Amino acid sequence: MEAIEVTDLRKSYGDTRAVDGVTFTVRSGETFGIIGRNGAGKTTTVECLIGLRRADAGTVRVLGEDPARRRRALAHRLGVQLQDSSLPERITVAEALRMFGSFYRDGSGWRGVMERWGLRPLAGKAFGDLSGGQRQRLMLALALVGNPEMVVLDELTTGLDPIARRETWRLVHDLKTAGTTVVLVSHYFDEIEALCDRVAVFARGRVAAAGTTGELVARTGTASLEEAYLALEGTDR
Amino acid sequence: MKAFTALAAAELRLLSRDPASLFFMVAFPLMLLVLKRGDSGAVPGYLAMIAAIGGMGALPGLLASYRERKVLKRLATTPISPVLLLGAQLVAQVAAGLAGSALLVVVTIAVFGARAPGDVLMLTTAFLLCSVMVCTLGFVIAAVVRTARGASLIGMLVMFPMIFLSGAAVPRRALPGSLRQIGDFLPLTPAVEALGDAWSGTAALFPLLILAGIIVAATATGAALFRWE
Repeated sequence: MEAIEVTDLRKSYGDTRAVDGVTFTVRSGETFGIIGRNGAGKTTTVECLIGLRRADAGTVRVLGEDPARRRRALAHRLGVQLQDSSLPERITVAEALRMFGSFYRDGSGWRGVMERWGLRPLAGKAFGDLSGGQRQRLMLALALVGNPEMVVLDELTTGLDPIARRETWRLVHDLKTAGTTVVLVSHYFDEIEALCDRVAVFARGRVAAAGTTGELVARTGTASLEEAYLALEGTDR
Repeated sequence: MKAFTALAAAELRLLSRDPASLFFMVAFPLMLLVLKRGDSGAVPGYLAMIAAIGGMGALPGLLASYRERKVLKRLATTPISPVLLLGAQLVAQVAAGLAGSALLVVVTIAVFGARAPGDVLMLTTAFLLCSVMVCTLGFVIAAVVRTARGASLIGMLVMFPMIFLSGAAVPRRALPGSLRQIGDFLPLTPAVEALGDAWSGTAALFPLLILAGIIVAATATGAALFRWE
């Protein structure tokens, strides 16, 4: 079964074509990576997937729903971690988890989420006093508090120190093991290689190629995902 | 409803942790009352001032910072509508203002021996309308000014002259004629009148209708101009 089907998605802001004919599918239970330079159309695509933006053209199906029309119904089944979003400075970790839990049909398990993600010792700490890694862990936990079938993680580990990154990887790996579909937008090749079953390379508003790391490496005749990426980025002018 | 209650409770809790809001909505009016030696004639104006400090002094900067720091955007990815957050903010500001006002009224009566307000029900109604009205003005400011710093500054720049010219902080009869005339056109002036009338037990409907009209107009303007990001 396909968790996501995107066909010929297009979105412009004024004269800028942010997304210019994106097509890809994500299978249920898969961890799917999206990689590409800034301005390649990754975030716009993600925002169309979660119903924050309406596409100019093309079709988007997420868990069988059209996100532009059925945003709210879909939001109950979807966890989202946005690039550099935040919370009020003075809200505590436990308050944030409980409050977000109240938004979801299936959000009563917020205490369990707090426990599982190692946030218990930080329960009474204010968001403004958390370290970068702790904030990211909380934002990730908030994405899971509604017990979603699928999570979308945009630049999950940007700005984290190496230890916090590895820790976050472990958490994503747990999700994967539990059968949750994961869409991971990243700038880091090692992250994509460590976590993703398949990856789409975005370049200039299109998908330059999609497949497993092995497939991309074989197709480009290169030795690593990074070299394959550079080759693909160069061929799509 | 569950989500809205949780949001409003969270916002009220956040407000109670904000030292500036606590000071200006609770301690500051009490200080003014002591300076006035408990003159109950000044109290209705102070009630309008408490509401204005919350709705115009604090609310615009808060909403704009929620937008700037992508708190609103994050909420928009959950099953709730971010409009609920605006409603929760309003409920929290009104509730905090009501608490500060109740304390001020009780102190005026219990400590300074003033007579109880003539019409408590009308006084409460007038306060609620006044408080909602200033919050909708704060909403318009957050809609027009994009940055958190800017919205906070403009909120203060609008709020301070208004509390002086509308009769909230000082009686209007103490102002020179030309300044007194400006007050005739300020939205807080009918609020001060309504609160004063209710306090003395001669409540009139007209100022309340004006407040209701301002609420409708400001809500429509804010809703038309507000940007979520």
